[in-house]
Amino acid sequence: MPIKVPGKRYGVRLAKSHFFSGHHSSAKKSTSADLLITPLVDMFVIIVLFLIANFSATGEILNMTKDVQLPTASHVKELDLAPIVVISATDVIMDGVAVARVADLAHEDYLSIPALEERLRESKKQTEELHGAAADGQAFSGDVNIQGHKEIPFKVLKRVMFSCQNAGYGNINFAVLDAGAKAAEGTKTAER
Amino acid sequence: MAGGMDLGTGGGHGKKKALDATINLVPFIDLMAVTISFLIMTAVWTQIGRLQVSSSGGDSDPNQDKDDKLPQITLLLAEKEIKISVGSAQLGDAITNARDDKGQLQLVKVQDLLKKIREQIPDQTAITVQTEDDVRYEDLVRVIDECIGDGLTAVSVSPVAA
Repeated sequence: MPIKVPGKRYGVRLAKSHFFSGHHSSAKKSTSADLLITPLVDMFVIIVLFLIANFSATGEILNMTKDVQLPTASHVKELDLAPIVVISATDVIMDGVAVARVADLAHEDYLSIPALEERLRESKKQTEELHGAAADGQAFSGDVNIQGHKEIPFKVLKRVMFSCQNAGYGNINFAVLDAGAKAAEGTKTAER
Repeated sequence: MAGGMDLGTGGGHGKKKALDATINLVPFIDLMAVTISFLIMTAVWTQIGRLQVSSSGGDSDPNQDKDDKLPQITLLLAEKEIKISVGSAQLGDAITNARDDKGQLQLVKVQDLLKKIREQIPDQTAITVQTEDDVRYEDLVRVIDECIGDGLTAVSVSPVAA
């Protein structure tokens, strides 16, 4: 009996088959496969272009938290670097420190929030000292960003605004989510 | 490796040079990978803007002298109604039931009135939004946004006088 090469052994009937007998296959398959790099490079280029188009040089000025849901607006300007007063549903926070409770503010009839004013005055003093030391000739702009939860009542907001005004921060900016002017135009047209 | 580039036939000196040159794409892919990682890490996904307002009694506007000669536009924002007045005269009736089924403020009527005012007094760009204590911040922002959109860019916010 002849010695046969090890491998699959089909029955007698299948041995005559063209397909199972292995006559159709070529001699040897290559062990290495070429990888197509072109689609990969194309995809990389598209991703890079998309990310560069969305790149913001100013970075993330506000820390978004779950407690603060910003309202939406269309006609907005770009946010500048300035002290941030956060009004969440429960607290008024500046520099990560809670300076007042919203529930208390809503019940009291005073306008000023002394703890907030004090912190803002400190911030103003520091800014003026820094500009003075740097001698860059930049005057204090009085900008402040208010990052307020959309459900807070105006009674709380007016007290925060009054405190900012008293501390010398007269340029008040409300931080809002940018809905985009074009989207707003489209909605209004549809409503009509 | 993929990425061949035809460089032409080269000189005609006897020995034939290869027609294709292989560009090494590995450094290019490395650069792309690093760039993508950097851009993803530094990306700002939430687009946040600002609406600039001044509270009444704040720093004086440089255009104040010019605006003093023009009638002042005032928008009274209450929880259930909106009134717009020019000077001391109220413009039209108070806008009531301005909310839709979801409770969102619909400002189409306000927009129409502000456009009429702008047509009559095109030089006036200041408006005072007098707001009642129980008005939500979201509603105030929508009204301010509408005012700025209609060309009244100098918005000042004040509480309703008691």
